[in-house]
Amino acid sequence: MGYRSTLKRSAILLLLATALLGSLIIGITIGAVFIPPAEIANILLSHIPGLGGGLGTNRLPEHDIIIMTMRFPRVILAGLVGAGLALAGATFQGLFRNPMADPYVIGVSSGAALGAVLSIMIHPAWGIPMRFGIPVFAFVFAIITIALVYNLARVGGKVPIMTLLLAGIAINTILSAVESLCLYFSGEQLHQIVFWLMGGFSGASWDYVFMFLPYGIFGAAIIFVFARELNALLLGEESAQHLGVEVERVKRYLLMAAALLTGACVSVSGMIAFVGLVIPHIVRMLFGSDHRILLPAVALTGATFLLLADSASRVLIAPSELPVGIITALVGGPFFIFLLRRQKNALF
Amino acid sequence: MIFDILGITCTYGATPVLQDASLQIHTSDMVGIVGPNGSGKSTLLRAMSRVLQPLHGKVMLEEEDIYKVPATQIAKKMAVVVQEQSLSFPFTVRDLIMMGRIPHMKRFASEGRLDIGIVEQAMDLTDTTRLADRQVNELSGGEKQRVLLARALAQEPKILLLDEPTSYLDLNYQIEIMQLLAKLRRQYGITIIMVLHDLNLASRYCDYLVLIKQGTIHAIGPPQHVITADMIKDVYGCEIKVEQFDLAAPPYILFHNDDHRAVKAVRPDWVHVVGGGGSGGGLLRSLVKAGWNVSIGVVNVADSDWDEANRLGVSIIEAHPFSGLGMEEARRNRDMMNKADFTILAGAAFGMGNLLNLECVIAEAERGGRVVVIDNPAIITRDYTGGEATRLYKQLLDSGAHRVNNEWEAVRMIEGERP
Repeated sequence: MGYRSTLKRSAILLLLATALLGSLIIGITIGAVFIPPAEIANILLSHIPGLGGGLGTNRLPEHDIIIMTMRFPRVILAGLVGAGLALAGATFQGLFRNPMADPYVIGVSSGAALGAVLSIMIHPAWGIPMRFGIPVFAFVFAIITIALVYNLARVGGKVPIMTLLLAGIAINTILSAVESLCLYFSGEQLHQIVFWLMGGFSGASWDYVFMFLPYGIFGAAIIFVFARELNALLLGEESAQHLGVEVERVKRYLLMAAALLTGACVSVSGMIAFVGLVIPHIVRMLFGSDHRILLPAVALTGATFLLLADSASRVLIAPSELPVGIITALVGGPFFIFLLRRQKNALF
Repeated sequence: MIFDILGITCTYGATPVLQDASLQIHTSDMVGIVGPNGSGKSTLLRAMSRVLQPLHGKVMLEEEDIYKVPATQIAKKMAVVVQEQSLSFPFTVRDLIMMGRIPHMKRFASEGRLDIGIVEQAMDLTDTTRLADRQVNELSGGEKQRVLLARALAQEPKILLLDEPTSYLDLNYQIEIMQLLAKLRRQYGITIIMVLHDLNLASRYCDYLVLIKQGTIHAIGPPQHVITADMIKDVYGCEIKVEQFDLAAPPYILFHNDDHRAVKAVRPDWVHVVGGGGSGGGLLRSLVKAGWNVSIGVVNVADSDWDEANRLGVSIIEAHPFSGLGMEEARRNRDMMNKADFTILAGAAFGMGNLLNLECVIAEAERGGRVVVIDNPAIITRDYTGGEATRLYKQLLDSGAHRVNNEWEAVRMIEGERP
């Protein structure tokens, strides 16, 4: 079994990585302006140091700008956020042993959203550039929220999953109310706020990618380290403890990691629905519940899915753009219902 | 000594559920924790399994405080099978059992040949090999229990803690699991500690029983000392009868037929039936239905009366199948008649093998005991001893036994004498 399953695992991951690469190429190639694939390859190669300015010469400078400052960072960011949300979703579902959990379940996203809304509102008065104001505010508020929820849920030295969920719902409600209040008084900025809340990558840039990376990598690394513990936790907390898992500590690390990841995702892309809920489900149905394969597979699939969704959002009503959250929800929702109908009793 | 529990007190919130409990368990012991619902037996088990840290006191496992060493270190020595395990996610049985290897494996290691071998052995022992590729959320209760036991065994534990391992199982699996546990103890020297509901199973399989009453340890000792009518009345508050068929056998609890709190126990209500070959079956049913405590002897194992007696939960003095009864059984038969309020001789056939039964009844009648003889069918037709049985039968009727024509008359007769 060991050898065979290792082989199977590698084959699955290789397949998913290939799919991701394919969607990356699609994402870079399509857009409002048509740029031939050969030219794109040339442009990309010309930016690799040491190649001395690339192989071909037929590169338009404006195409270089479109690729390097718009499409390339955008697909990278979409991929990273897709992977992050899906990974956070899988982690929350494993921790809560509940298939309905998603990255937004304990209120991190509401915190981030409120931060973003505040940042947009104070912009005219304070003059903080929104490109940086939104992600920084969103991230800081996300972290404050998770700290608040965690401490509210703590009973003695333990954090029971049930109280955590309830605390999350309570904080979520309060934050959403405050956010609605802000929206109500937002006046001119309303459209901007609503657009941000719907989620998307139209503002993507390398700055966003670099803002995301440290938290994204850190959060994902912690989650990968505890894949085995997530498996054991599926048996229930006491049984995991019996298998030598220090349950409370592992839970704390995983919660913080998933919240960090979610916060980082929401700050750079707004609230993108369904990726974190549906992707872990689909992957679990295809490859089983073993987190050692589930987690990397979820990350690759999430990245691929959001990348393709974002590509669709750019071309469906070109030259205008749809918020990607609408597409993920419109595609993810019906698919989720289909899965529910097919496997009524074996979802988790 | 493998486990040393030193005066532990456990609470849920402010309510103490276990108070100042101390217990020593030696290597390869098979220990049963028994007691009424809510007495704290599962709490004791949880405190021992490193999930419920006691407020006071210590739990020492091989001279180490289990709450002061890393969980993994404990998990290498001790495995736990809990009662209500949620298995609602798509894992195969093999993958689930493989989780038992977690404490032994390095963080990023894949399962090696050693791990696979151990898992296969665990599946073999628990008869779960053919379930290996099934999904755990599709298993029946009994299969689930065996798979969980296999997972525990994959941990290669020195100590196995089980919370009511037989509670969801059919009778055949209850016995199978208990025998498997006994075998694990015998072959691998595993120390087994389990919470059990069924006192008779506990008595049959455990070396020691820990009887818990309202959060304190009420008694510790071999089943003979713990399963007594007084002790059970004291802890469970109900009247039962304890039968011990011989000194080496474990005590066995008999339940009265209907409500029997205190009042009835003082009335003479014990009938001993001498039968065999199906002659006593109807009588046993009538007596049990009328609320009598009934015993029967001596019958051969697998005789139709023996079957019926077992079905009714009647206590039995038994002899090996197809063999005559010996002096030891006869002595116990006499003993029962002596203690019983009435002895009824059913219309059994007599051969040389069971002639001793007849002699015992004569002795009882001559002693002055109340004996009822169902004289039907005629003794001549069921005498396979060449006249010896008929001679003894006459002697019996002459020595003061009451003669009746059928089992209903017999029951009516003793009911009439019932105070």
